[in-house]
Amino acid sequence: MNWKSMIAASVATAAIGASAAQADDRVAVIVKATTSEYWQWVFKGAEDAGKQLGLKIEKLGTPKDDAAGQISVLESAAGSKPAAIVISPTIFEALGDPIAKVTDAGIPVIVIDSGAKTDKYASFLTTNNEAGGRAAANAMAACIKERTGKAAGKVGYLTAMAGHESLDSRDKGFVEGMKAYPDVKVVGNRVANNEEAEGMNLTADMLTKDPDLVGLFADNAQMGTGSGASINEQKLGSKFCLVAFDSDAGELEHLKDGSIYALVIQDPYMMGFGGVWYGFAAAHGVRLPKNVDTGVGTVTKANMNDPKLAGLLDVSKRKLGPYLGD
Amino acid sequence: MQALLRRLPIESYVIAFTIALWVALAWATPNFLTESNVSNLMRQTPIAAIVAIGVMCTIVIAGIDLSVGSVAAFCGVAFAQMCRHDFGLAPSAALTLLAGVSVGLTNAAAIGRLGIPPFIVTLAGLQVYRGLALLLAGGMTVGGLPAEVKDFARGTTGLPNLFWTMLAVAIAVHYLLRYTRTGRYLYAMGSNAEAARRQGINTFRITVVAYVLSSGLAALAGVLLVSRLSIASPSMANAYELQAIAAAVVGGASLFGGRGTVLGAVVGAILFTTMSNAAVLLGVDPFWEMVLEGLLIALVVYLDNLQKRRQSGA
Repeated sequence: MNWKSMIAASVATAAIGASAAQADDRVAVIVKATTSEYWQWVFKGAEDAGKQLGLKIEKLGTPKDDAAGQISVLESAAGSKPAAIVISPTIFEALGDPIAKVTDAGIPVIVIDSGAKTDKYASFLTTNNEAGGRAAANAMAACIKERTGKAAGKVGYLTAMAGHESLDSRDKGFVEGMKAYPDVKVVGNRVANNEEAEGMNLTADMLTKDPDLVGLFADNAQMGTGSGASINEQKLGSKFCLVAFDSDAGELEHLKDGSIYALVIQDPYMMGFGGVWYGFAAAHGVRLPKNVDTGVGTVTKANMNDPKLAGLLDVSKRKLGPYLGD
Repeated sequence: MQALLRRLPIESYVIAFTIALWVALAWATPNFLTESNVSNLMRQTPIAAIVAIGVMCTIVIAGIDLSVGSVAAFCGVAFAQMCRHDFGLAPSAALTLLAGVSVGLTNAAAIGRLGIPPFIVTLAGLQVYRGLALLLAGGMTVGGLPAEVKDFARGTTGLPNLFWTMLAVAIAVHYLLRYTRTGRYLYAMGSNAEAARRQGINTFRITVVAYVLSSGLAALAGVLLVSRLSIASPSMANAYELQAIAAAVVGGASLFGGRGTVLGAVVGAILFTTMSNAAVLLGVDPFWEMVLEGLLIALVVYLDNLQKRRQSGA
């Protein structure tokens, strides 16, 4: 072996050593759509966990929901050999095999928010969206009863986008949940393209079609904001029952002005935070529970100022106390 | 009679079709011709129509503007951030429109001076301004705006304020296109840019007029959208460029340039709003609604071509 190849070999060894050292302190977090507020909150949770663990968080994803794009992002992320990958699959069927392949390559995968068609992952942290939909149905019934004396009348629901597992589960939970109130009829459903302005138009149009509609369920933040704006514009706040999923600046405003009766909130911060912690644990050989429910809650004007909810409604106020402390 | 029908511009068919649709809807559903639904339509159309008028101006000079949706989002977010930081409503709106105008100047300079095709320039803009909107909003919905912000778009002065805004924009641009020399030059340049140049028309100046109108009106649409929603979202106004192109084309504009009117673009926008309104009132499946809208665009362009071929005697 001459000196040139010696140097080449040692440089190569050093490079491998360096990249291995680098790999240990990186976790890739791949979301569905980097341009949405919800996923920014997932990133915030992931970064806070990264700070605690001394890990570098790589924030990845496609700008909009795009399964093919997400598979490419996942493959490149896996190619750089991070300690773990946290991913929210855009489409259940499409991401199954690519996730299984990453697991087979020895990189632990933590799935968050939405499922994928595989069981080759370390853990799955998600909102039980169907339970969320049922919570919305219960809030709807409570609102109608509060305003009209009994839980009876026509309600509709507004779907943000077609063909999304998490949204479909919410709608299913809502429709199922409403069956517990036999006098409430679910009469209408419209599908938007995940835009506030379209949610606003559709709400007005649905009310035109069924002027006796007493309530509407909006199944994500964009729909909630749009519907809230329409109810506010028509000054129906005190008569109409709008229940929406998630919380963002627009929804909170309409919760305050009374256009939205209740928000069903989930915990995206904890999905990011827990996802990174779990990924770190899995990379160190810890066995994890296969499914973790990160929970849903219902917020109305009555309890929106509860300090316990502050960090859930506005993640910038999120504080993580010591686990056993208060 | 047949000769007269042939000579009628395509807008008249689209207007007739829209009116026929209204009559059918008024007959088929009890809620179409109600005061509240008409007022809803008057609020739902203007933002799309204003964007369509701007894009139509670039189509007239045989250009295109794909950046309007992103520009509306970027300007809307900028407007919201300025309002939130107490710039005051009027100064914020004025600065936002100024930002829109600068976007138009940049586009026109890239097209007219650097010679980059408008499709590419504005495709780049579609990415750039969406990205800037997200950066400026930090990826989040911008809320907490002063209450006066929403008063304009939600308010009425006899008719909804949004409707009056659309009317004012439409009349102003119609006047410019129809009764000024600049307007005539826009059509001349769209029909044959080389001939226009030889006649001594300053084609760069005309390019500036078209793209400044397009981006400026997109910025106005952004402000109105924020006023309507009472928030700004960096992902709003997605694919508005395609809606605008569809409205302009259905209203008789030709992507080869030289043809297009304000009335056509407005009627095109009204037609699409009516169709989505009708889909809800009639309970049409939303996926079929998309199919029908697409078929309508194809049909109108086909009829238009047919008419042109007949006129040329082929």
